[in-house]
Amino acid sequence: MFKELDPILHSQLRLAVISLLISVKEAEFTYLKEKTNATAGNLSVQIQKLKDAGYIDVSKQFKDNYPQTTCKITPKGVEAFELYVKALNEYINR
Amino acid sequence: MEEKPISQQESLLLIQQMIQTAKKEQKDDGKAWIVWGWMLFISSVLTIANLHFKWFSTYFFWNLFGIATILIFIYETINVFISKRIRVRTYTKDLFERLNAGFFISLMFIIVAINTGVPPTKGFALLISLYAFWILIYGSALNFKPSVVGAYITWVFGIAALFVKTFELVMVMHALGVLFGYIIPGHIAYKEFRKLHRKEKAEIV
Repeated sequence: MFKELDPILHSQLRLAVISLLISVKEAEFTYLKEKTNATAGNLSVQIQKLKDAGYIDVSKQFKDNYPQTTCKITPKGVEAFELYVKALNEYINR
Repeated sequence: MEEKPISQQESLLLIQQMIQTAKKEQKDDGKAWIVWGWMLFISSVLTIANLHFKWFSTYFFWNLFGIATILIFIYETINVFISKRIRVRTYTKDLFERLNAGFFISLMFIIVAINTGVPPTKGFALLISLYAFWILIYGSALNFKPSVVGAYITWVFGIAALFVKTFELVMVMHALGVLFGYIIPGHIAYKEFRKLHRKEKAEIV
């Protein structure tokens, strides 16, 4: 019996965002956009989904008159990512 | 990149790619080690020459070094406030900020000690040991072998500096410690960073 893959993470862009955030302390929206090659609109939607699932924290502030959105993975997000990788390994090694 | 379902193999590949991308943020270009290393090295060598030819007072070049360091420190501090915002923070960068602060405080501590009675021969041996400690932590955090090896070599020169009799020889130990601890690993790091940067550019093209 295989564990079902987390539908929140089993999507290209959301998985890319979580994989980036797992390796750093926090990252700005522009950094995530550049590294994932996503459009701003699409990335915003997917970030919101990850936020709603409690996998990431999003903080918005103004710095030097520019809006700054910073994302950070939460402990729940780390746990979900670890479970996702574990389940993925089971699928691949079957 | 779009929002679309992917296969298990694609997922694994994507995770690997993104983690590799984020890992590049941990890389150091080595420029700071090179500048700091050469400044220390040149000051040591000029002090040796000065002791030999008696141009100025013994610590003339170290005083110049101190002024240059303060100016660079002011420039860097101003730069932090006016430079563009940091787009990504890593745990390693945070560690380095604290490590650098601790290093600077300890450096000042030893310099004050030298100026208030600790013999300069012993004081500089302590400085070499402090460099080695900083290099070891930095190299270990970056998993950069030349720095880890360089740290142990620097300690050897630090210990040797404790037992040599003249200030001139202490300066020789200091110059050699800096060469193996900062300059050589710095240049290797810079070369590797450039190589990685070129590879990344080629991948984009």
